[in-house]
Amino acid sequence: MSATPLLELRDVHTYYGNIRALKGISVAVSRGEVVTLIGSNGAGKTTTLKTVMGTLRPLRGSVSLDGRRIDGVGTDDRVRLGIAQSPEGRRIFPRMTVLENLELGAFARKDHAAIRDDFERVLTLFPRLRERLAQKGGTLSGGEQQMLAIGRALMARPTVLLLDEPSMGLSPILVETIFEIIQDINRQGTTILLVEQNARMALRVAHRGYVIQTGRIVLTGTGGELLRSDVVRKTYLGEK
Amino acid sequence: MTGRRVLTAAVIAAALVGYPFLDAALHVHTIHAVTDAMIYVMLALGLNIVVGYAGLLDLGYAAFFAIGAYAMGLLNSPVLGSPLYGHWWSFWVIIWIAAVISAVFGVIIGAPTLRVRGDYLAIITLAFGEIIPVAIRNLGDITIEVGGVRVVDRLNLTGGENGVNPVGRPYLPGHLFDETPASWYFLIIVIGLASLWAMNRMRDSRLGRAWMAIREDETAADCTGVDPIRTKLLAFALGASFSGFAGSFYAAKLQAITPGAFEFNVSIMLLCMVVLGGMGSLKGVILGGMIITLFDRLILAQMTFLVRGLGRSLGVAALTTVDLTLWRWFFFGLGLTLMMLFRPEGLAGKRVRPPRVDVDDEAEAVALAAAPPPPRAEAIPRWLRERVGANPGRDSGGRPLLEARGVVRRFGGLVAVNHVDLVIPERTIVGLIGPNGAGKTTFFNTVTGLLTPDEGTIVFRGESLVGLRPNAIVARGIARTFQSIRLFQNMTVLDNILVGEHCRLHASVAGAVFRPPSVVAEESAARARGRELLAFVGLADKADELAKNLPYGDQRRLEIGRALATEPRLLLLDEPTAGMNPRETETLTEFIGLLRRELGLSVLLIEHHMEVVMGISDRITVLDYGTRIAEGTPAEVQRDSKVIEAYLGKGYEAELTRG
Repeated sequence: MSATPLLELRDVHTYYGNIRALKGISVAVSRGEVVTLIGSNGAGKTTTLKTVMGTLRPLRGSVSLDGRRIDGVGTDDRVRLGIAQSPEGRRIFPRMTVLENLELGAFARKDHAAIRDDFERVLTLFPRLRERLAQKGGTLSGGEQQMLAIGRALMARPTVLLLDEPSMGLSPILVETIFEIIQDINRQGTTILLVEQNARMALRVAHRGYVIQTGRIVLTGTGGELLRSDVVRKTYLGEK
Repeated sequence: MTGRRVLTAAVIAAALVGYPFLDAALHVHTIHAVTDAMIYVMLALGLNIVVGYAGLLDLGYAAFFAIGAYAMGLLNSPVLGSPLYGHWWSFWVIIWIAAVISAVFGVIIGAPTLRVRGDYLAIITLAFGEIIPVAIRNLGDITIEVGGVRVVDRLNLTGGENGVNPVGRPYLPGHLFDETPASWYFLIIVIGLASLWAMNRMRDSRLGRAWMAIREDETAADCTGVDPIRTKLLAFALGASFSGFAGSFYAAKLQAITPGAFEFNVSIMLLCMVVLGGMGSLKGVILGGMIITLFDRLILAQMTFLVRGLGRSLGVAALTTVDLTLWRWFFFGLGLTLMMLFRPEGLAGKRVRPPRVDVDDEAEAVALAAAPPPPRAEAIPRWLRERVGANPGRDSGGRPLLEARGVVRRFGGLVAVNHVDLVIPERTIVGLIGPNGAGKTTFFNTVTGLLTPDEGTIVFRGESLVGLRPNAIVARGIARTFQSIRLFQNMTVLDNILVGEHCRLHASVAGAVFRPPSVVAEESAARARGRELLAFVGLADKADELAKNLPYGDQRRLEIGRALATEPRLLLLDEPTAGMNPRETETLTEFIGLLRRELGLSVLLIEHHMEVVMGISDRITVLDYGTRIAEGTPAEVQRDSKVIEAYLGKGYEAELTRG
């Protein structure tokens, strides 16, 4: 942990609407890691991702990418700097085709040859999307929309990929598939910050994790450590 | 508090009564402008019912103004030889006829627009607003020839371009209107206050809640037992009837009307008044109406006078000929733009952005540590037990509660639901699982009436549901929740529950306005029931909060509470534990079990959390690509190889054998 973390939040305070959702969060993600943020509804997980993405601005504290502060940078420019997000609830463009959705993911890029490579890579990761390229996003099933949202984010060729609740509303078999793909993406070199309700799966694939409660980090450790900790087992895994 | 309100009312009353005398004493001659402003306030209030309450964007509301004015004009004028003209009572009778005619037109115009919303509705109303003045112009001179014979020769129905002149004035014994401008002023005050009183009561009634529910989420309202067609038609009809009053008054005061007074710009100005004041707020709309009309009638004229004076004294020739009244649309546009930028909720609308709060950490920590309140059988409201539990349909002689046979639903070439059979006996929890896109929600929608099945039968307690609208199905005893929570966001928690009770209440429009003892009793009983139900679902202390301000878990519970308020026999829950943590999930699972055990409800449950489905379902149906691939007890289903392959996955199987 000697090198500068790729993504770092330091003492971040952010309001979500009129509620102070983050009360001094510090999170560091090193290059090549999968880091997960687990917590209840309203704990501040999504707010953290929004602060990283720049759709919410922190009141205090700093967000840095590769040692450079980016709190003043607009969301679209953060995509250019290498951050992309698959948002909660998927938020794909429902009236555009799967192909158009993916093309828009690469909107900020000009390297056409590399975009073509990434397009192939996404379709290899998600063969289902290849079958549905001409279909409107809104007609996809929930699982396919989730794949599209992740695929769209990958089209930006991010160095850091933010995933917000990728398993929500998915069948058990699809949850497994999605988590396998998340690991594949990571092995191919993308750093991942993962927010999940499904703490068990998230901690299994993550190198490290943070437990967030009412806007504060209350626990941190490797995936295995957190899986074994009492707090996590009782509150987030539902064990007695 | 009440003392202050009495004082405020007294001050307003004194100001309203004293104003005309002050105006006369000071010789400022503003009373005509103020009286006219009140006509527009009346119109804006009528439009507010359609736009503010029911959320239907109407760009052609001036049409109703025209209809009201012409109803009065034509019936109370010698031009077309109306027999109602020339009596002392003419005005007082015709004003009611005008209101009824406007309401009828409201329904006529409302009817074709009911299937459309948003942009399309706005376009249709826009067209209607254009049609009416054109029709009035052209119906003043009708000639029809059939085979060279003039069947109709120069028939005049509306006065055409020349309009109607004169229009009869109101008479009171010993008093002729028009001698003093104050009599017009007091007449519109009386009409306006009566309308305001009626609108206020409508808003706080069963009907008002239905309007707001439609505005918030029409589909959810339909699935909660509110008939959207009836409710929207009532909004159009009642909104139009108030413009009947305003139009009548306008015609009588001017004593002449022409079609030019009801053009598109009037509709837009009325809409501006509603938006400026704050949609849905009576106070705001009054304020918006007064400000815009008085600005137009008085302030621009005065400012022109001032600017010209300034120009003369400074010797700037350009300023001496300025006419600011020609710039009125510029000022309206500017004002409205600034309003939308800095106070989008309107002058008197509720603040959209409440002040920032910093919740006390300790209180929060306590709330987090305390598990959500466990469901208790004792907390079940007695009325719910009586109405739902002791239902006469309980002993159906072994016949299942719901029986769906061979249900097919296609979308284009895709068969989303393919010959699905599903039987739900009384007092049974049936799980419906399957991969994403397998057709589970589509099946839900065919049962609840959002979609009509292309083939197959759905029978509930011996009655076919096919072809019934969602609200009719709710009334028969099926309630649902949605995959993505669909509450009425800008209504209070209690009002959400009361919309659920809508289909069990009876208050009519007249009942809402005049509030006979039966309606008062019904309303207070409904509120009491609602509060008991909130206590049961654990939201007793949040009755008056807006639904959108609830945390996620509370929103889920409120949605189930709202479904229970419709007094269902069958509850359809679409992924009720999605996004909940394990502890919340466990509580909800117990809650669903309690509803079955204590109230004898049946539940059809779509759910991806296997510990929930496998834990509480009596039977499980598995869909894949729209087809039923398995049906049985949880134990049978989770060992079924087809289910493991299509849905559960090898990981689940491994865990099952391990644990």
